[in-house]
Amino acid sequence: MRNYIIKRLAYTLVIAWGVLTVTFVLLRLGPGSPADKYLANIAARGGNVAEVIANIEARYGLNKPLYEQYWDYLVNLVRGDWGWSTSTSMPVMELLARHWIYSAQLILLSFLLASFFGIAIGIYSAVKQHTRTDYLATFLSFVGISIPNFWLGIMLILVFGVKLGWFKTYYDTGLPIFSLANLEALVLPVFTLSTGMMAGYTRYARSSTLDNLRLDFVTAARAKGVPERTVILKHVFRNAMLPIITIILFDLGAIVFGGAYLTEIVFGIPGLGRISFNAIFADDYPVVVAVTLIGAFLVLVTNLVTDIIYTYLDPRIRYV
Amino acid sequence: MKTKLLAILLSVAFVVSGCQAAARQAEGTYTTGTSAGDAETLNWLIAADSASFSYAGQTLDSLASYDNDFKVHVRHAAKPIEVSPDGLVYTITIRDYLKWSDGTSVTAEDYVYTLKNLMFSDWLNYTYQSDWQEEVDGKSVFVEPKVVNATTFTITRKTVEPEFMDNALMGLTPYPKNIAQKYEGNVKAFTEAEEFNKLTYTGNLGPFKFEEWVRNDKFVVSRNPDFYLSREDKGTPFFQKYVIKLFGTPAARMAALEAGDITSSAVDPPQVAKFMKLPELNVYTTPTSGYEFLAFNMRSNGWEGLRQKEVRQAISMAISKETIVKDILLGFGEPAFSFLPKVSPWYTEEGVTKYGVGPLYNKEKSREMLVKAGYGTKKADGSFQVTGKDGKPLKLVLTTNVGNETREKMAALIKQELTDMGIEVDLKLVPFATLLGNYLRNKEPGTDQEPGFNNGPRAVSQESWDLLVLGFSTNPIAPSGQEVFFTTKGGLNAFGYFNEKMDQLFRRVKSKEALDPKARKAMYQEISAIIADEQPVDFLTFPRGIGGISKRVTGIVPGINMGWNFHTWYFQ
Repeated sequence: MRNYIIKRLAYTLVIAWGVLTVTFVLLRLGPGSPADKYLANIAARGGNVAEVIANIEARYGLNKPLYEQYWDYLVNLVRGDWGWSTSTSMPVMELLARHWIYSAQLILLSFLLASFFGIAIGIYSAVKQHTRTDYLATFLSFVGISIPNFWLGIMLILVFGVKLGWFKTYYDTGLPIFSLANLEALVLPVFTLSTGMMAGYTRYARSSTLDNLRLDFVTAARAKGVPERTVILKHVFRNAMLPIITIILFDLGAIVFGGAYLTEIVFGIPGLGRISFNAIFADDYPVVVAVTLIGAFLVLVTNLVTDIIYTYLDPRIRYV
Repeated sequence: MKTKLLAILLSVAFVVSGCQAAARQAEGTYTTGTSAGDAETLNWLIAADSASFSYAGQTLDSLASYDNDFKVHVRHAAKPIEVSPDGLVYTITIRDYLKWSDGTSVTAEDYVYTLKNLMFSDWLNYTYQSDWQEEVDGKSVFVEPKVVNATTFTITRKTVEPEFMDNALMGLTPYPKNIAQKYEGNVKAFTEAEEFNKLTYTGNLGPFKFEEWVRNDKFVVSRNPDFYLSREDKGTPFFQKYVIKLFGTPAARMAALEAGDITSSAVDPPQVAKFMKLPELNVYTTPTSGYEFLAFNMRSNGWEGLRQKEVRQAISMAISKETIVKDILLGFGEPAFSFLPKVSPWYTEEGVTKYGVGPLYNKEKSREMLVKAGYGTKKADGSFQVTGKDGKPLKLVLTTNVGNETREKMAALIKQELTDMGIEVDLKLVPFATLLGNYLRNKEPGTDQEPGFNNGPRAVSQESWDLLVLGFSTNPIAPSGQEVFFTTKGGLNAFGYFNEKMDQLFRRVKSKEALDPKARKAMYQEISAIIADEQPVDFLTFPRGIGGISKRVTGIVPGINMGWNFHTWYFQ
């Protein structure tokens, strides 16, 4: 197992390097440039556009040959210098260190809420198949899947922030992270982000539980007189979890750079989603490369964690 | 005796001023919401975006500024800037109690250093360098700053530019020489300098001091108790903190305003009626200097008809400006007929043809004009049918930037108006960057020119287009900057409009002759008349600015430069 983990970590580093290289090259080959934002102003004042582009690119070292830029970037990366963010005017490392927590708390809380309730409702719905509870859970999960995060967030703000005045209409970064006030400020964003996830997990958990409920080992356990609660929680739950874990952990990568972004936009949360999207539009190469690298690393590590969790959930699985 | 009397008078004065200050205590946090995007830097000399200047401007005033009536108010300047009779020498005297954060005085040397060693330097590439350049013997040269004494400096030009003070000089703000010298010549070090990126040097130069900037979230400044104007404005500013809060969407921003979570924000036209009913808010609508227009591509990759004045007039005659104002801006705007807004002292209606309103909004007449120009036929029943010269349906490409709801609606309305005329319109909504890069930047085909916004009469854009909806802004007090759009060598003349008479008029506006305001007004009148007749673009509207501000805020003077006296606003 230890050898397997070491081997996988080595693969992770190689793949992360590959992602970094591809991102770096694609960004440089793309049509945009950090100089673009200056052009209209310069042209308006009769300046020389070509000269300005050259000067601005020189300011950020973009006038060097690509291989030299790439080598400089790698060397600096190893030294812990991730470059200077041109769109926010601060070191990339400092920018990420300041903002990761806003995404992390939102995603973690949403993830826990969605996983816990999604799986619990899904299993309960499967056990109570074809009952009113099952139909209600199915209906609500379809509603949850269908509602766009963006719309739901705005509606929650209008109802609970504007009309009822229960919550502030935007997230306040001035609150201490580990405080009840911060938790309260996260209620609407977390609910917004977790709704779709929870609905999806409910459907997966229901389907997977139903598959297992029909298997012979469940019938055998029931025939032996094992209490229904034990059958569900000990035998069915553990087996049903295998595909769900895969889906949930894969989902995590998509949430970081997908769903969470929209929630951050609606509630004014300055997380990595907003930072990275703004950086893309501002041609802020160092931030785009860094965030892509972190994203790739997260997905790879998540995969590794998924594989490790498999061994605990399914004793038949062994890695060598 | 005299001394005693003076002492008594001073005591009374202090008591009175103390009472006034006590009556108006600095308190509360003023939070303004925006969804226009974050600033890029507080190191404003390397900035290219307006948000960066706006953020830094909270901690740094300039030499002078305008109020809503364009009356000049001196700020860092101790008295109005003096101009020599020949219009070539500007003498600036700054207040002698301006201080940097380390307690040292701001001197004329700081200003001259900022100009000569930073703004005019080759290594820093200050974006607005050309504001400080003039053309002498065919070459661009910088104006000449010179220190006279600790608080006075001069700027000498070789050519007269009547609007130089309004366009460049009044907005001048210095960098501290003793700090900037450390980074001189090293652009990377200057860009990353902590003092400039955290505004630690601003001393008593602005109403607020920098406190915090959380990227993509908020910019926070706190009251500057040493603010240089607080002497005459009795303890200003009166807000303990000023926060610019960023929102990802206009909907979230307006929800925050409605809930009272922020103090002020812009309001979209469809929301005005609702916000006007809110008891805690005042809604202000103010004139703006931004105008929306329909550009005609007169370059060789646009429809050749657009190179004829009569065709452009006909198109403008088919588009109702009143419908745009009424249905799209919901009444919050005015039809435009030139780049001059009504609030500009140079505005005139004399000789200005008003296409798109009243009798000059006439589709039948428009069809007739197009047929006369060779684009269509007169039918047996006397009506006109618009076609291409080959008799086939006339097809035009209309584009604008996606995401700007107002422009998208305008483009849709223009498409409808032209469809009614019998013209097929292909509406393309593209990202703003694509609009700039592929539709407006141009180069001569077959050359290795770097694409610019006006690379000469033979240059064309990468994508072909005929009509384009866009917006520009005018400086109402110094509109000569509009030459960049409407003169042959104008840096942003992407549409290919070339008119020798127009070039000549803009040259005259920038000459000694224009030092006489009457003469200058006559020149702008002539420019307005020509531009309204020639229709290089169809000026559509001047939308009004709409803002909601908490009723608790007092001291507001609504107008085009609303906020010029922000440091005297306070919570009631």
